[in-house]
Amino acid sequence: MNQTMAERLHTAMAAARPDQATSVLQSLDPDDAAELFQSLPFEQQQSLFGEMPAGYAAVLAGIMPYYHTYVLLHSRPVEDLTAIVGEMNPDERRFFLDALPEEAWQHLMDELSGQHPVAEPEEAFVAVEPQGPPIIEARQVEKHFQRPDGGEIQVIAPTDLTISEGLVVAMLGPSGSGKSTLLRILTGLAQPSHGEVLWHGSPLNGLNPNVAIVFQSFALFPWLTVIENVEAALLARGMEQAERHSRALRTLASVGLKGFENAYPKELSGGMKQRVGFARALAVEPEILFMDEPFSALDVLTAETLRGELMELWLEKKMPTKSIFIVTHNIEEAVLLADRVIVLGRNPARIRADFKVPLGQPRDRNAAEFLVYVDYIYKLMTDPEREAGPLVATAPKPAVQALPHARPGGIAGLLELVADRGGKEDLYHVAEDLQMEVDDLLPIAEGARLLDFVKLQKGDLEITPAGQKFAEGDIGERKLLFRDAVLAHVPLLQQMHGALLKKSDRKMPLEFFRDIIDEHFSRDDAHSQIETALDWGRYGGLFDYDSERDNLIAQAEETPQA
Amino acid sequence: MTETDRQGSRLLPWGALPTSAASLLRDLPVILAGMALLYGLLSLAHYWASPVGEQPVIDLRPSALPKYALFSVTRIALAYLLSLVVAVAYGYVAAHSTRAERVLIPLLDTLQSIPVLSFLPPVMVAMMALFPTRQLGIELGSILLILTGQVWNMTFSVYSSIKNVPREMREAAGIYRFSRWQELTQLELPSAAIGLVWNSMMSVAGAWFFLMACEMFALGNRDLRLPGLGSYLQTASNAGDTRAIAWGLAAMIVVIVLIDQLIWRPAIAWGEKFKLEQVEAVQTPRSAVLNLLRRSRVLNALERTAIDPAGERVTLYFARSRADGPPTRPKGANWTARAVAVAAVLLLAFAVVKMALVTASLSRSAMLGILTGAGATFLRVEATLLLAALWTVPVGVAVGLRPRLAAFLQPLAQIAASVPATALFPILLLFLIRAGGGLGIGSILLLLLGTQWYILFNVIAGASSIPADLKEACHVFGISGAQRWRKLFLPGIFPYLITGFVTASGGAWNASIVAEYFKFRGQTLSTVGLGAVISRATDNGDFPALLGATLVMAAMVVTFNRLVWRRLYVLASTRFRLEV
Repeated sequence: MNQTMAERLHTAMAAARPDQATSVLQSLDPDDAAELFQSLPFEQQQSLFGEMPAGYAAVLAGIMPYYHTYVLLHSRPVEDLTAIVGEMNPDERRFFLDALPEEAWQHLMDELSGQHPVAEPEEAFVAVEPQGPPIIEARQVEKHFQRPDGGEIQVIAPTDLTISEGLVVAMLGPSGSGKSTLLRILTGLAQPSHGEVLWHGSPLNGLNPNVAIVFQSFALFPWLTVIENVEAALLARGMEQAERHSRALRTLASVGLKGFENAYPKELSGGMKQRVGFARALAVEPEILFMDEPFSALDVLTAETLRGELMELWLEKKMPTKSIFIVTHNIEEAVLLADRVIVLGRNPARIRADFKVPLGQPRDRNAAEFLVYVDYIYKLMTDPEREAGPLVATAPKPAVQALPHARPGGIAGLLELVADRGGKEDLYHVAEDLQMEVDDLLPIAEGARLLDFVKLQKGDLEITPAGQKFAEGDIGERKLLFRDAVLAHVPLLQQMHGALLKKSDRKMPLEFFRDIIDEHFSRDDAHSQIETALDWGRYGGLFDYDSERDNLIAQAEETPQA
Repeated sequence: MTETDRQGSRLLPWGALPTSAASLLRDLPVILAGMALLYGLLSLAHYWASPVGEQPVIDLRPSALPKYALFSVTRIALAYLLSLVVAVAYGYVAAHSTRAERVLIPLLDTLQSIPVLSFLPPVMVAMMALFPTRQLGIELGSILLILTGQVWNMTFSVYSSIKNVPREMREAAGIYRFSRWQELTQLELPSAAIGLVWNSMMSVAGAWFFLMACEMFALGNRDLRLPGLGSYLQTASNAGDTRAIAWGLAAMIVVIVLIDQLIWRPAIAWGEKFKLEQVEAVQTPRSAVLNLLRRSRVLNALERTAIDPAGERVTLYFARSRADGPPTRPKGANWTARAVAVAAVLLLAFAVVKMALVTASLSRSAMLGILTGAGATFLRVEATLLLAALWTVPVGVAVGLRPRLAAFLQPLAQIAASVPATALFPILLLFLIRAGGGLGIGSILLLLLGTQWYILFNVIAGASSIPADLKEACHVFGISGAQRWRKLFLPGIFPYLITGFVTASGGAWNASIVAEYFKFRGQTLSTVGLGAVISRATDNGDFPALLGATLVMAAMVVTFNRLVWRRLYVLASTRFRLEV
């Protein structure tokens, strides 16, 4: 039945009859209608939303994800906006307004009260290209790693992923979430343990025939000059010298490297090196340009410039590439560049959300619409239980509590900052203030939450009484509070502590616990788990660690110093 | 490259040749060197083809030295080139096939610890059987022997370089679809270059050491010699001709310094561009000779008209043959590989059985001789290391802490170290005999001569890498004297000291073969030791004793490496690593 409804909706849209389309939607159950509505191309959603009566728009607005609602609302004039928000179901309205980040909320309030100079946002919107046929399709790909003892660790849960023509796709995820592995599977550099990757509909056999990767570490050959680096990729395709040379020159000029052809990479700055990386990738005219954290080894300003230049090449169609796939851990970068954002969860990696960002280019980091998306992704990444956006895959839950890789000192610093701000703060504000990438901040926030020093809600950090006490305490008090928190909330450390107390000599080889942890984590993860556990246990005075003998030694219970 | 240059490359080579007299003058050294090389090869070939019957008489006049030096250098050069090929092939296979790796790397580790001189009799016998009538047989034998002394560390260096190519670079080569050939020439060999240059220097220095032994030796009742610097020095010492020994030594030092300046310095400067670091170093090695070569228009023209286009054709050929078909391996290759593996295993099993049979035929007294010898040599080697450490640690630290002194002394010490200990033995023996000491103690001095340098250089390197802030901290907190040694210097140089010990210990075992049994002025001096057992067995053609003693020595080196050095090495690289 939905099939025919969808057809009728499409027919109505094609005939430019918004009234008919609205009545098709109205004939459906509101939840189904919202889903059907969101399946339309974004510009059609926009025009239809703009035409439908305020009452029905309010129904849809209450159901759709808040960031989507927020952007759609702004495709109508301010007086309509007031009317729609006014007609929303009170509960849904409250929910919607609560979800908005501070700036967006303030912006909306100003608009509703008529204080805001009305800027018609229509011009800012550029229609998102209709999605073309898929180029790469990953079907139920998963990846396991063999543990030394013969067991297996799943690093990527069965995942479906399609990359189509015409879009910039960003894949976000915390570090160690397997983003890079997934990228390598899509390019054919790595083989999935199960599942298959299709390239234009036929299975990929070995390397992907026509893709390029821009690497985080640039991966330039230091013994070749700039132009030789670019030419090497063309030589591998069997291109003759003269053609190779002229194409390399052209590509280098297009990324602003004219005059640097005969320099060696080590003579160049980081930004210039990455330009060579881009030139090498573009020279082979890939169908999909893959980028693995291409800007994270660069300083902030250089990264910003390069991002701008990349988008210019892409938007003005100066590169022969049909799609860009970028892996990043930088949320703003993803929202800045991508038409579609995929958020990965970890242990094992799985797609938690996959949604469009229908904002026009170039994007303004301070625009409320932009912040709505940034905020949404923050919420998603800080809250593992949170229900993800519209296209959620069912995800298995991790079996064992994973300790975030956070140092006690970092947690203390975060608590002090939040206490300083009156006990509550938006996470992305904290990130901004501390000049920290979300990748570095998230483990700390997660650690503080795990110890019940803060609550993480909807991207807000709120300090708990225990956290407040910690922030105000001196070193001795902090250690005791930390010890209590650790023993109350971290099973692994409880276990270690308990086992040590039961031994008469109060000593135990760390190897014993390492074996337990190894069963649940990959090697690198296990290593960082142990490191964090040691760090926390030592800080909390639960035990000491003798690295030479690899022994844990229980510490005598201390009485608080006055 | 400018437009005219590229057009020039399509013309005949001499179209690009220099015309002015000035540029011809600049090319003169290169042209002369080429001609000298050609002459050397021709005269050597002439001599090689000569029949084996007439044993060359070694001429002790100094005027004969240039010819002998040329012969020795050519021998070493050929052995080195052969080692290079073997090292690259072996390292490449071991690094690329996990299955081959499991066999090849332990094998390499074992081969490395077999004393080279034990290979002498079997290699020589085999080569003389191959070419019974020509000098070529012994000549090839000596080259193969030098090779066995050179090839292992070079192979190891190639293997680990290929293994350690940064992951993303390897992926870049993959994603841009480099052919195997392009991956080898543009990624793997360049990454291996620096390690290979340094290991080549070490290998060639080692080659001079063995040259003494393999240019003149007795095999059973046959007295074999090859004209060269090694045989010159041996003949001179046999005759007790001090003047000739001095001339020979001088010639050897000149040759070593020349090779250092003409080959190794340029090679190191050239290797600079293969450094993996992405930032330009402040100080880079330079070489006038390299600049000369780079500016030579003859060489440039040759590169542009012959080498580059040829390389281009080959790379394009591989790229296209890969692009045509899907990159699937032919099934036959798998079967051949398996057949080769099976054959190798069978051969190995046969060799092991044969070895067991041969060693079983040893008499009890011979066995006992080997074992007491092993004990004696073990003590001697450890005593040598201790003695070497006693003087090199204080001196090395003193030098290493003073960068200017180090910069001044390092080249001098390098020259001293590069003179092979075997060449100095005769002089040392003269003193020993005059002082009335026997070879029992004397051999320790001889071993010391060969091995102390490894430790000294490593200690200097370690001391100069101690961070300045730690030294300042010691100064600020008034830590000095013995305490400063215990808390700073010794831990600081520990990893380097261990590296030095490992190399020195291997070298000392090997050197014991020459140091414990020596022919001098027509008489044979020897002492109790495993090296003496091996040397005597070589002289007498006593194959079972040779094999047994060699096996014992290899086993002791491997065991000691595993049990002691490797553990200390791990300790050094974990606890005593200086890092931030």
